[in-house]
Amino acid sequence: MHQLRTGPRQSFRRSTAALVGALLATSALAACGPSITSGDPTPSGAATPGDTTAAPDPNTLQAPTEASPSGEITIWDRSGDLFKVFDAVIKDFNAKYPDIKVNHEAVDIDAKLQNTLITGTDVPDGVFLDDAKVAGFSQYLWNLNDVLKPYTADIAQQKLDVNSLDGGIYGVPFDLDPGLLYYNATALEKAGVDATKIGTYDDLIEAAKQYKAKVPDSAPIHLEQSAFLGQLQLEMYASQLGTSIADEKGQLRLDSPEYKRILTWLDTVQKEKLGTRAEYLSPSDIKPLDSAKEVFYPWAIWFDFAPQQLLPKTKGDWRAMPLPAWTPGGARSGAMGGSSFALPKDGKNSQLAWLFYQFLMFDPLGYQAVWGPNEVYPDGLNTSIPSYEPAADPAKPLFGPVEALGGQDLWATAVDAGSQIPGGAPIPAWWAGAVDYLGNNIQLMLDGKMTPDQVIEQSTKDIQKNLVDRQ
Amino acid sequence: MTSPSVTIRRRLPSVVTQVFLVVLALAFLAPVAWAVISAFKPAAQIINDPLGFDPSSATLDNFTRMFADVPIVRGFVNTAIVLALKGSLTLFFAPLAAYGFAKYDFRFKGLLFGTVLITLMLPTIVLIIPLLLEMKELGWVNTYQALVLPGAVDAFAIFWMRQVIAAVPNELLDAARVDGCTEFGIFWRIVLPVIRPALAGLAVLTVMNIYNDFVWPVVIASSDRMATLQVVLSSLAQNITGNRIGADYATVTGELLAAASIALVPLLLIFIVLQKHFINGILAGSVKG
Amino acid sequence: MTLAPAAQRAQAPSATSRRRPHRSPSRRKLAPYVFVFPFIALFLAFGVYPMLFTLQLSFTDWRGSGSAQWVGWGNYTYLLTNPAFWSSLGNSAVMWLLIVPVQIVVALLVAVLLDNAKTRMRGFYRVAFLVPFVTPLVAVAQIWVVVFDQQYGAVNSVLNALGLPDVGWLTTSMWAKPTLALLFLWKTTGFIVIILLSGLQSIDPTVYEASSIDGASRFRQLRSMTLPLVRRTLMFAVVLQTLAIFQMFAEPYVVTDGGPYGSTTTAGLYLYDHITRADLGTGAANSFLLVIVVMVLSLGFVRLLRSED
Repeated sequence: MHQLRTGPRQSFRRSTAALVGALLATSALAACGPSITSGDPTPSGAATPGDTTAAPDPNTLQAPTEASPSGEITIWDRSGDLFKVFDAVIKDFNAKYPDIKVNHEAVDIDAKLQNTLITGTDVPDGVFLDDAKVAGFSQYLWNLNDVLKPYTADIAQQKLDVNSLDGGIYGVPFDLDPGLLYYNATALEKAGVDATKIGTYDDLIEAAKQYKAKVPDSAPIHLEQSAFLGQLQLEMYASQLGTSIADEKGQLRLDSPEYKRILTWLDTVQKEKLGTRAEYLSPSDIKPLDSAKEVFYPWAIWFDFAPQQLLPKTKGDWRAMPLPAWTPGGARSGAMGGSSFALPKDGKNSQLAWLFYQFLMFDPLGYQAVWGPNEVYPDGLNTSIPSYEPAADPAKPLFGPVEALGGQDLWATAVDAGSQIPGGAPIPAWWAGAVDYLGNNIQLMLDGKMTPDQVIEQSTKDIQKNLVDRQ
Repeated sequence: MTSPSVTIRRRLPSVVTQVFLVVLALAFLAPVAWAVISAFKPAAQIINDPLGFDPSSATLDNFTRMFADVPIVRGFVNTAIVLALKGSLTLFFAPLAAYGFAKYDFRFKGLLFGTVLITLMLPTIVLIIPLLLEMKELGWVNTYQALVLPGAVDAFAIFWMRQVIAAVPNELLDAARVDGCTEFGIFWRIVLPVIRPALAGLAVLTVMNIYNDFVWPVVIASSDRMATLQVVLSSLAQNITGNRIGADYATVTGELLAAASIALVPLLLIFIVLQKHFINGILAGSVKG
Repeated sequence: MTLAPAAQRAQAPSATSRRRPHRSPSRRKLAPYVFVFPFIALFLAFGVYPMLFTLQLSFTDWRGSGSAQWVGWGNYTYLLTNPAFWSSLGNSAVMWLLIVPVQIVVALLVAVLLDNAKTRMRGFYRVAFLVPFVTPLVAVAQIWVVVFDQQYGAVNSVLNALGLPDVGWLTTSMWAKPTLALLFLWKTTGFIVIILLSGLQSIDPTVYEASSIDGASRFRQLRSMTLPLVRRTLMFAVVLQTLAIFQMFAEPYVVTDGGPYGSTTTAGLYLYDHITRADLGTGAANSFLLVIVVMVLSLGFVRLLRSED
């Protein structure tokens, strides 16, 4: 940038100076904008939170001290069934805290949250947020270290890790989304393949080969074709190996034996023609799934929605088991997706919002209402499990057996898988931006245009330059 | 009176043109028909059998769920309010200012019009944050004035109307002046009637733009109380666009299609009324008169 | 537009009167200020002010909170040296080529037919072509995904029935752009029809009467009479669509998310990505670069259409 101004072209230089002068003049105009510093990056005093008096650290939320506090809170959730589930819990919450009025709103959080936080006007007290987005908003959010302290020992480590940044925790962990291997038990059995013997990813390839030998026009394993979901699935495999795209300091760690191993495996599935390459639940996916051409689906627990609703012919044939391990004895699951509840510092009644989430996640009445049988889900909400371990008790299932999985006790399988998920690291704010590089390169590899090594090398270079270095 | 292109049309085989228009119109309506019909299908079927329709399984579930889940009635009311206020501002002040630009000389005219063109070329999305901060300073977040005033007299309308009015013959205006018309009277009694077809076009496009606008309303109307129809739709759409993470996108798709189908109705009615104003020969009439 | 009579008269002695400012009483001097004032007030407050703000932002690194860092030309040099920025412009340029020529021809044809009082069901068609413009994109995006699915989509089924191979409409870099262009055409052609129609309806019918007496053939009439008369309207439509195509982001966002391999990451979507990542300074710089591109293109078209006179 400086070479432009010191360049030989005087006229250019002069006009630049004039422009800069004009800009400086306009900066006076921009009274409500950000202040501009020209020197070193002194972190400006982050927006001062409302009630700082009691807290030793103004950015750390404290629990309210009154026995039955009163006030109004605004809670944002995404529309859909989950919204209705949370909505139904409000009356249970009010039985415990009758004086807290909950305004529950279904909003387009992706579009609204950032702008609302920037203006600081009508900021919600609590908001439902993808884990991948928490770190990006952390400067606006309460550090929940103190209020979560009584529970942290009992919360899945992976969920705490993705919500942490520089020693603070910025989200109340909601669900745990363990990766599972969904398989069409009926079709595999008919082909003489014993899926229950699959213990490692090598076994999975073997099983797929056996199946393909019997059903030649099949392509047994799902290979994701959406760049975004493909990257999310890659992170599930990586989570299984205890790694992720960046470490807790935000340094890239793609260039590792773990990623090499995963990518090589995906490449093998593709090269051996064992994969159905399609976007998650697009027609190209649904048709082979429902005609037993695609029989293995390594995915987050929420895939169970497909056999329950979208696969009328093979409904009941599907089963779930923990993911294969990368090495014998290794972890049998990794996390894929997941959300948390964040509390913006500009919320008017953050402390009361904490009480709401505390009730929702850590009070048996709360989490039973969320995952247990309710009006929306008569058999319970079975697309995720609680991340709070006392709630995720294998012996006390919150949701019932899943008919579309042949009456399997998905709860026990998922809780077992969830308990094996290794710890993680904060998800960098640029995670979604990395899809342009890593996500696309995975697809290029599956096209046969890149090798696993090239994917790693190229993605590392581009992500470093365009995302990490520009933070 | 004679239509301008009658003679063109007279020699075209009418069957060919009719077939062309029918086929094209069907192609244009097919996706919308799909959306409306799908709104009556059970939600899961929209995803797993998108092109099939079994009338015996038709259901109003998507509609009842949608009405229960999202404040769509509130959305209609807010959209109607914004439409009335913002629409009338645009339809009156844009031609008025365009008249000033087209038929008068005044100081800074060139500079001003140049700025209009630049804002027209600037992607709206980058202005969102600065505008938002401005609204915050004014204390207008979640108010009707914030929904109505920014963009009420937009650059596009000025640009278009200036093009249109520039072509109105000056003789017409001068004649009116000789007759003792005031400057505003010329605008009101001569210019507006002469540009009526374009004005009807502007009305249609303005109504559609206001009705369809969601980027700004989503941002500025963060509270349910102020949600416009498009804000309601976009909160439903959020679970579908992009990546389908989460379990129940079929349900939400069903609700979205139901909401979109209902949202079409008032707009179609408005069009049917407005399109009558596209009458041939208005200009000719007034020129001759 | 209402060009016709004026254009005719432009040949007449009164041509100069078009340029000459109206010189007369002070009331007439004051009038334009009164006329443009409401617009100017709103425009300065909600157009110019945020624009200057954005211009300032483009020289800073600002993430939406805290203080902004002055980075000089940093954002601009970053973009100008970034292949992704150039490829986003390239993608938009290809989209332009795929959309504008087809759209102008189809819209002009439709507008001419709808302008004709003898065409039956004109009211129906006018509404029919506008319906896509008012249907929320997300509501119909699903049908694009379904119809153009590689294995089971309706389009490929037809191709297969004709003995042709499958086409990866949404999964290959080559075909994703035309597939999206079709969505954009579907969505916006009705808008162009309206613009052109309002231009056609302002043509003085006597122009046609005269020429049909001369026995001009229909195509000659279209070429030599209609086209020149709606030339300004056409130019206007082309400029508007150029703006819209270079700012386009909803279509690729909803249907392809910019993929496959970034082949549908249009200039607008690339810009949108900066904003969603709260990289507001880069976003602002990106939009001013886009303004320059669009401005050069628009001026080019204006020149081109003028010179064909």
